[in-house]
Amino acid sequence: MKKKICSVLVFLVILSMGAYAQKTTITVFDYIDATAPGYAENEAIWQKFIDENPDITLVKEELSNEPFHQKLAAYVAAGTLPDVIYMYPSGRSTALHEQKLVKDLAPLLGKDFLSNFIPSVTDPSGQKGKYLAELPQSITYTTVMFTNTKLLSDLGLKVPSTYAELKAMAPKLKAKGIRPVLMANKDDWVMQSCLFSTIVGRMLGDEWIDNALAGKVKFTDKDFVKALEFVQTMYKDGVIGRDTIQISYGEAPALFAEGKAAFFIDGDWRQNAFLTDASSGKALIDPKLQQTDFGFYNFPAIPGEKNPGVASAVLGCGYGISASIPAGSDKEKAAVRLLKYLYSADVQRQYLELGRYITSRKDVKSDKLEPFTMKMVQYHDSVPKTCYVLDGALDTSIYTPLNLGLQQIGLGTKTPEEVAQSIQAAVDAWRAAHK
Amino acid sequence: MNQQDLRMHAKKPIKPGTMLGKAGAYIVMGVFAFMTIYPLVWLFLNSFKSTTEFRTNMMGLPVDWTFDNYITSWKIGEFDKLIGNSILYTLGSTVGITFFSLLTGFAFAKIKSKATGLIYGSFIIGILLTIQSLMVPLFLEVTSIDRGIGDILRSLGLIGPGEFRLFHNTRFGVLIIYIGSALPVGIYMCTEFIRGIPSAIIEAAQIDGAGYFRIFRSIIVGMSRPIAMTLSILNIPLLWNEFALINILVSETSLKSLPLGIYKFSGGLSSDYGKQFAALVIGMLPMLLFYIAFRRQITAGVSMGALKE
Repeated sequence: MKKKICSVLVFLVILSMGAYAQKTTITVFDYIDATAPGYAENEAIWQKFIDENPDITLVKEELSNEPFHQKLAAYVAAGTLPDVIYMYPSGRSTALHEQKLVKDLAPLLGKDFLSNFIPSVTDPSGQKGKYLAELPQSITYTTVMFTNTKLLSDLGLKVPSTYAELKAMAPKLKAKGIRPVLMANKDDWVMQSCLFSTIVGRMLGDEWIDNALAGKVKFTDKDFVKALEFVQTMYKDGVIGRDTIQISYGEAPALFAEGKAAFFIDGDWRQNAFLTDASSGKALIDPKLQQTDFGFYNFPAIPGEKNPGVASAVLGCGYGISASIPAGSDKEKAAVRLLKYLYSADVQRQYLELGRYITSRKDVKSDKLEPFTMKMVQYHDSVPKTCYVLDGALDTSIYTPLNLGLQQIGLGTKTPEEVAQSIQAAVDAWRAAHK
Repeated sequence: MNQQDLRMHAKKPIKPGTMLGKAGAYIVMGVFAFMTIYPLVWLFLNSFKSTTEFRTNMMGLPVDWTFDNYITSWKIGEFDKLIGNSILYTLGSTVGITFFSLLTGFAFAKIKSKATGLIYGSFIIGILLTIQSLMVPLFLEVTSIDRGIGDILRSLGLIGPGEFRLFHNTRFGVLIIYIGSALPVGIYMCTEFIRGIPSAIIEAAQIDGAGYFRIFRSIIVGMSRPIAMTLSILNIPLLWNEFALINILVSETSLKSLPLGIYKFSGGLSSDYGKQFAALVIGMLPMLLFYIAFRRQITAGVSMGALKE
C-alpha cells in the first residue's frame, strides 16, 4: 500500500514538474491608475488572457505617474527590465528607445497585423529611436473645442469658422453671463498643451520648432512672438477670461456642463469627464443631450496662419517587449501573444467603449458608445493635419518657462517678448548642456 | 505651582491687555486648527459622493450619500492584503530602529576608542542623504546582492534555477532597509541622549562585574525610555506613510504596503474622485486613530525627548 502511495506521489511530482517546465513566465510593467475609466473592466480583460493561456504565467506590476518613471529608471539602471513594458513614443521613455532596450515590434507583430492600424502609428519615424519600439494605442488630440451648440443657437449664433467670428460673439455671450471660451488655466500646462501648440502649428509649423531647437531660428524671433501675442489678444478681446487662471482642471467640466461657457477647450481625453459614471449611473451631460446639444470642433482659423486646420496631436503610449528576451524563445512568443491579444479588435473595442481612448485600430466599431465618444471619433477623422504638442517636442527645461509664461501673459504680468526671452534662455542652456 | 499659588493666581484680576493677548492667541490657534481639520472633514464628506456629484457639488454636503466608493476602493486597492504588511513594516522597523539606535548610541557615547569619532561620523553623514538619491543605488544593490548570492547557492547545488530573493521583493528586505535608512537620525539622537547619562553609574556597574550587554539591558534601556519613545513617535508615521523606498523594493502586491495601494488612486487627470477620496480616508484613518489614542504620549514623548534628564 505504502509503495502504491509513494508511486502515485512520485508520478504526481513528475507530472507537476513537467507542467511547470512547460509554463512560460512573463513579467509586465503596466501604467494605470485606479481612477482611470474602466479600471475594474481592464482587470477582467487581463484576467481573460490569463484564463485563455494556461501555459503562460503573467506577473503584472501596476504603477502610475512619477512612481512609474522612478521604478522604470531603477529597472533600466539595474538591467532588469520586465518582459513587457508600457511606454511612451518619446519623452519619459527616451532611454528605452535610444539604448534600444526594447525590440522592434514590426517583424514580431508582422505586416498583416499592423495593417489593421492607422499608418501614422506604425510609422517608425514618429518614435524616438526611429523604430517601432511600442505600438501606440491611440493618437491623442490635445486641442478640441467642446461646443454647446444649443446655447449658441438659442442666442442666434453659429459655430465660428474664424477667430474674428469668435471674437464678435464674445460680447453677446458675456452680456448673458456666459463665458465665450472656458479653459482650466490654473494648471499651467493646459494653455500650452491644449491651445498654444495648435496656434504654433498653424502660425509656424513643426519645422520651425525643429529649427529653433537646432539653433537656426530663435524663440525671440518675430514669428514666435506673434504666436504669443495671439494668446495675449485672446485675453484682451475677452474671448478667454483672465479669471480662467483660477479655474482648476477638476472643476472646468462641471462649469461647461452647467452651460456657463459656450466653448470648452481641452484634450480629447476630457470627453471621459462627461460620460456616464458606471457606479452611480449618472453623467455630467445626459447622453441624450450629448447627442443633440453639443459638438466637437477644431479651433477656428486664426489671423496669420500658414497651416490652416492643423491641430496638435501626439502619438499615444503602448506596449513594448524587452530586448533582453532571446529571439525565438518561448518567452518572446508569449510576449507577442500578449500584445496581439491586447491590440486585438475585441480588446480595443472594449477600451473604446470604456472611454479609455480612441483606438488607433481601424477596424473597431461599436454601437455601445455614448454620443460624446462617437463625436470624438468623428472629430479625429475631421482634422486634416496634426502638429507637435509642444511639451512632447521640447525638453522639460524649455516648456516649463513656456507654460509659466503663458500664465503670466494671461495675468498681464509679462509681455510676449519677455516670455520669448525666458524660453530662448532655456533653449540656450539646453543646447549648451547637450553639445 | 502649589495650591496656594493657584489661589493667588485665581484672585488676580485679569488685565485687559492679557485678555486681548488671550483672545489673539485663541484666534490664531483657532485658525490653525480650522486649517488642519477642514480639509480632513472636506475629504471625508466628499468620499461619500459619486464623481458626477462631486464635479457639480464640490463644497456642499453629499446629496446622495454612497458607501460604494469605500467598498470599491477597498477591493481595487487590495487593502486587505496591504494593511497587514503596513503594520508589520511599521512596527517591525520601529522596534529595530529603536533597538539598534540605543545599542549603537550606547557604544558611541560610553565605549570610547580612537575610532569612535570616525565611525560615529560615518553613521551620522547618512542624515544628509535623501531617500530620492538612494532609490536607484539601493535597487541596484539589492538586486545585485540577490543575484550574487543566488549564483553562489546555485553553483553549490543548494537551490534550483529559479530567482533567488533575499532583499528584493521580500518583507525581510523591506525591514532591513527601513531600519538602515532611519538609523543615522536614531543613532544621533540616542548617542546625544545617552551621553547625558552619568558615566559613574556605568563605572559602578562595571565594578560590580556587569558586562556591556548587561549594562545596556539593565541601565541604558531603562534610562533611555524618553528617547526611545520619541524615536518611535517620530518613526511610526514616517514608516506608515513611506512610499518611495517600498515602491522600488517590491513588485508583488502581496508584499506592498498601504501607501502603494492609495497611490494607485492618484491619476494625473483623475476621473474618479469618489474612489480616490475614499482610498485617502482609508489610508488616513489608522494614523488619525493612532494620534487620538496616543496624543498624550505623543506630546509627552516629543517634549521628553527634547530634554536630557
